[in-house]
Amino acid sequence: MLDLCSISHKGGLVLWSRSFTPAASQSVASSASPVNSLIREALIEGRTAENKYEKDGYSVKWTFVNDLELIFVVAYQRILQLTYVDELLAALKTLFVKLFQPFLATFVASLHAASTGALSSNASQAAATWNFAKAFDGWDNVFDKLLRGLEDKAAQDRKTRVGHVPRSTVDPSPPSDDPSTIPLHDSEASVDEQQIARNVQALKTRLRGRGGRMGKRGGGRADIGSGRDSHPGSDSDTPTKRKPKGKAQRKWGDEAPSESDMASLNFSYEKIDSSDAGSLDLSALVDKGSLGTRTQDGLYEVKDWEFSAADDVISRVIQDGAPSAKASATPGSLGALGSIFARLTGSKVLTEDDLKPVLEAMKQHLMKKNVAKEIADKVCEGVGDGLVGKKVGGFQTTNAAVRQALSNSLTRILTPKTSTDLLLSIRTKLSSPLPSTQQRLPYSITFVGVNGVGKSTNLSKVCFWLIQNGLRVLIAACDTFRSGAVEQLRVHVRNLSMLGVNGATNSKSRVELYERGYGKDAAGIAKEAITYARDNDFDVVLIDTAGRMQDNEPLMRALAKLVAVNSPDKIIFVGEALVGNEAVDQLTKFDRALRDFSASSGGRERGIDGMLVTKWDTVDDKVGAALSMTYVTGQPIIFVGCGQTYTDLRQLRVANVVQAILSD
Amino acid sequence: MDPTEDSMHVPEPEVLSLATLFTPQFLVLSSLAVAVILLAVVAFVSRRKSNLRGDALLLVGPPDAGKTAIFSSLVYRQTLPSHTSMQPNVSSMHLQDKSLRVVDVPGHPRIRDQFREYMTDAQGIAFVVDSSTVSRNGAVVAEHLHQILHAIASLPPSRPTPALIIVAHKADLLKSTAQATPGQLAVNRARAILERELEKRRASQAGGVGIEGLGAEGAESEMGGLECSGNGEFRFDAWEGGEIVFVGTSVNTKQTNGVVDEKSDDIDGLAPLVQWIEEL
Repeated sequence: MLDLCSISHKGGLVLWSRSFTPAASQSVASSASPVNSLIREALIEGRTAENKYEKDGYSVKWTFVNDLELIFVVAYQRILQLTYVDELLAALKTLFVKLFQPFLATFVASLHAASTGALSSNASQAAATWNFAKAFDGWDNVFDKLLRGLEDKAAQDRKTRVGHVPRSTVDPSPPSDDPSTIPLHDSEASVDEQQIARNVQALKTRLRGRGGRMGKRGGGRADIGSGRDSHPGSDSDTPTKRKPKGKAQRKWGDEAPSESDMASLNFSYEKIDSSDAGSLDLSALVDKGSLGTRTQDGLYEVKDWEFSAADDVISRVIQDGAPSAKASATPGSLGALGSIFARLTGSKVLTEDDLKPVLEAMKQHLMKKNVAKEIADKVCEGVGDGLVGKKVGGFQTTNAAVRQALSNSLTRILTPKTSTDLLLSIRTKLSSPLPSTQQRLPYSITFVGVNGVGKSTNLSKVCFWLIQNGLRVLIAACDTFRSGAVEQLRVHVRNLSMLGVNGATNSKSRVELYERGYGKDAAGIAKEAITYARDNDFDVVLIDTAGRMQDNEPLMRALAKLVAVNSPDKIIFVGEALVGNEAVDQLTKFDRALRDFSASSGGRERGIDGMLVTKWDTVDDKVGAALSMTYVTGQPIIFVGCGQTYTDLRQLRVANVVQAILSD
Repeated sequence: MDPTEDSMHVPEPEVLSLATLFTPQFLVLSSLAVAVILLAVVAFVSRRKSNLRGDALLLVGPPDAGKTAIFSSLVYRQTLPSHTSMQPNVSSMHLQDKSLRVVDVPGHPRIRDQFREYMTDAQGIAFVVDSSTVSRNGAVVAEHLHQILHAIASLPPSRPTPALIIVAHKADLLKSTAQATPGQLAVNRARAILERELEKRRASQAGGVGIEGLGAEGAESEMGGLECSGNGEFRFDAWEGGEIVFVGTSVNTKQTNGVVDEKSDDIDGLAPLVQWIEEL
């Protein structure tokens, strides 16, 4: 049932691995193995929503042991629904650590030798003679026993579930043509609403079933199927369609609501509890420290804005939270004193309770910096998962450890994994070899985004930069909807041609506008523009599209058609830095729409290739939008726009952004 | 007979001139002490400087090149199977007459910048390349190599520059021809492709107008590190940052569950690398 099971160290060395199928054993060593894909795409990127990852028909589940830095991975076929995998992972974790604790500790210590002196020469000579196969000797048998036990239990559960099915049938019999069976059940039925509703449903099914069988409708058969499904266990067919236990039957709208449904759907005012008013926390509504002052006339004036001195947000929160923490210290341990001693001797192990308040404070801080709420949630969760069970050594406090882990995580998310060097890509394409009969196609960049983010302005900034580097640029005005869009681009082109480069008085021949007026098809204009650029020796084509909302399906289809027809080399999503939680929605929907619709029209699946964040100068240091956007797509931020003149284009520095987010 | 004259004839307080302080013996003693102090300071500084040289070998390179496999061969004398690394491995290896630290830095683009933390300790840097796939992803490998070259070139001159070796790994996956062994084939291929890609990178940056980075003024936004003597075109033997050595290597991978008989085989494929390490 399982395909692959492996135990490895976070640094890459595999301690034990077992593959159950030949296909899995072949792919294990390659870079396409499920474990490698998991690590590369989910764990390192830090984008793990739930504890599940799917790729290539495999479903992969994993767990960590953070103090020994181990990863336990189980991969199986996606179409199977195995219920015992979570239990298996948990059991593997505890058993493996218990059985091989000393060897693992020395092994992990050898991988962290801080200096040649730390690992004494004797120990390291010994390390060269370790026999890794023998070290994990009995593990194979233990694993086999464990797996067999869990599989047997799962099979047992399934059998009992199937066995219960005929016994619990009290209700309507399977549909039959004989109307004489109907009265048989009436005698058992009680008079309450649910029973009546069920009887009505059964009658309907019978009538429907009879009609379906006589009419031989395909739809009728589906009706029979759904009718059967609504009566659990009423037919011998249902066990084969049975999904694993725990999945509730879907409520279709064609049944009369039952009594419990009525209770939950009743929103009338008599239901409001008077106790709700008492539980409302009035102190959360008003911050007493920020109350304004009352003048002598009795007028209430608000407080002045102060630029507070830089203060570490975490220590402030901990100060506020410290009295409560001390009060809740468990009587068993020595409390605060004990934890100080434990930390000094380097053996304090982080638990979830330790981490929860600090992570909560971190999450609030991130949201204050304009990071979307879901992203802040996921990032803090990821940091927490990676820290639970870890030993905090020396003088490092919990806050410092969490802060360090959070900083690493943010750096990892923001660091681009593909090159952001546009000039290099352009030059590579322009100098690539061609068959002699063809003319060279120019490098095309498409700017997409919602309304009003600054696409046209930033397009002209990019154009200015490209001209400064000696390239010839054609701007294609594919925004045929908004009035004045073409005129706006015409003004930009006029300005740009008046700005000279390298001592030239103007750049007339370097930039041109290709436009066909309003109301035409954007994809057609783009295609003609690229052809025109190819014939007239332009190097780069910048395609300006109309702004559109992310849930406007016809417009997203039109955009995907433009992408599919012209296959631009880069699709840049333009977003503004002011956007908050909307960023997640915009990007997900744009990416998904582009991928779905461009793949369906036969071309290669294209998503967003990069992002341009605009209006950076309006957000002071609340730059969380950058984090949300890179987290959602995984693509890098290529440029940042921070003003309205042509030179206000910058590159993103990851260290600055991380610092701005974590500062107070 | 004036008593006042006698009493007034107080012996004048002698103003000792400073010159009398410096008796010859005092001079000799003090100059000796100063010399000893100076010698101590010089010895201390020179010892610190030699300690600065560093004692670590860095294994860097693009993902799936085989760095962790080389690491385990050097440290544990066996090649363990490995997955993509998520964090650096630091350990020490022992040769006949020397022992040094080996640092295996992950190659994934998001976490590969961690090599900068170990740069100051580095005595040698081994850039590991998968020679069977380098023709396909040459541009990505070249970008990584460019970052390493830039980091080496921007070390402060007071530190001795670490030696750089480019390891064309997985040479056993290439088929040997009549002219060359797999190792030489791997080296030639890696060298040609990397030289070409780095030249493209250098050409696209030279004479280009970059875009400044956000925030700190004066921070470098362009990556240098590819300066060469001669006519400026990038070639490995003309690189101004130091000498670059090329070797071709391979390791045997085996299952951990198998019988462990041939431990000595694994390190034979790395013989050129081990030789270079010994000469460091």
